[in-house]
Amino acid sequence: MTLPTRSRTVAAERLSGRLLIGFTYVAVALLALGIVAMVMAGISPLAGGPALDLETLFDGLEGLDPAALLWLGLLVVIAAPIGRVVVAGAAYAAEADWRMVTISAAILVIIVIGVVSALTVTV
Amino acid sequence: MLIGLLMLGGVAAGAFGSLLGLGGGLLIVPLLTFGFGLPLREAVGVSLICVIMTSSAAAGVYLERHVANLRLGMALELFTAIGALIGASIAFLLDERLLSLLFGGLLLYVAVTMARAREVEPTLISDDDESVDSSGLAPSTPVLTTLDRLSGPGYRVRNLGRGIVGSTGAGVVSALLGIGGGIIKVPVMHLSMGVPLRVATATSNMMIGITASASAIIYLIRGGIDPYVAGPTAIGVFLGATAGSRLAHRVNLRYLRILFVVVLVWTGIQMLLRALQVGS
Repeated sequence: MTLPTRSRTVAAERLSGRLLIGFTYVAVALLALGIVAMVMAGISPLAGGPALDLETLFDGLEGLDPAALLWLGLLVVIAAPIGRVVVAGAAYAAEADWRMVTISAAILVIIVIGVVSALTVTV
Repeated sequence: MLIGLLMLGGVAAGAFGSLLGLGGGLLIVPLLTFGFGLPLREAVGVSLICVIMTSSAAAGVYLERHVANLRLGMALELFTAIGALIGASIAFLLDERLLSLLFGGLLLYVAVTMARAREVEPTLISDDDESVDSSGLAPSTPVLTTLDRLSGPGYRVRNLGRGIVGSTGAGVVSALLGIGGGIIKVPVMHLSMGVPLRVATATSNMMIGITASASAIIYLIRGGIDPYVAGPTAIGVFLGATAGSRLAHRVNLRYLRILFVVVLVWTGIQMLLRALQVGS
């Protein structure tokens, strides 16, 4: 058994960092577009936005619907750290660091449990 | 008009949080509840989005510069995510007055801690500073323990058990109150686990993203996030945090800290009054 090498940790960190920054800029762009669309449509932020509907999201994007643009931006915001875990896990897998791969997978499993419980358990 | 005010409030919260190293979450929830009349639980959902946004932007830079300890952060994230899952699940079962009580108590605790803290000069991080490289381990050095694997150059991680307990607690608090949880994680990592403050701060920042994402998904599914409020606020917080990090070395933090303590005390008392249903 060997210690984690400098190269594999550096690669995982660099990839993860770039992904986070990239996702953040995409999210900012989508949210900014959504806000412009809100202003143009005269929507008050306190009007009560629609719930997320994945089936109509992409139709809404084609029509530059403010809620669709904002929802996509918010989904990108939430996805950024999760994507970072996936990318770091993949970088560790490429280096056969199975301990870190297991940790990455466990984090993702916890998130999936959260999604499933929120969808199935009523409060 | 209201969109502009939301963004402006977000800018102020983001800048304040960034300048004082607290993140914006502490101010966003009171801003949205007292300033815009949002229910506390909805404000927490929006705050979680803002917290992820600022965490991702900052953590991306920290990771590229190898300041954050990715291995340690991911190991502890496992437990902050579990805590977030628990916190977000019970958040929808708790009375809003109890949440207000908890939030008010947290604000007053932070205010007292800040008032008693001595001023610490911010440390500049250099790209080529080898001492901050969390991955400078020799390839041929043998591994002895898990703690060795999680350690970085110049420090050895200890008390992993305390880190696990602290991380789980930080996850619960983050999901309940919409904050990043750095006020728990940084002291635990630095004081109990022997991680240098700069690395602890960067690693905590990185961990905040996955903690808040785990709970934000639950808030989103249960209708706790309003896109019309979250979008402008998140953009404002992002702009404020970006400006704050650039202005940090030009601002007299002493007076800002005093102002922040006053704001926290006032807001904390208002939250406690709301919990007791006194006044507005």
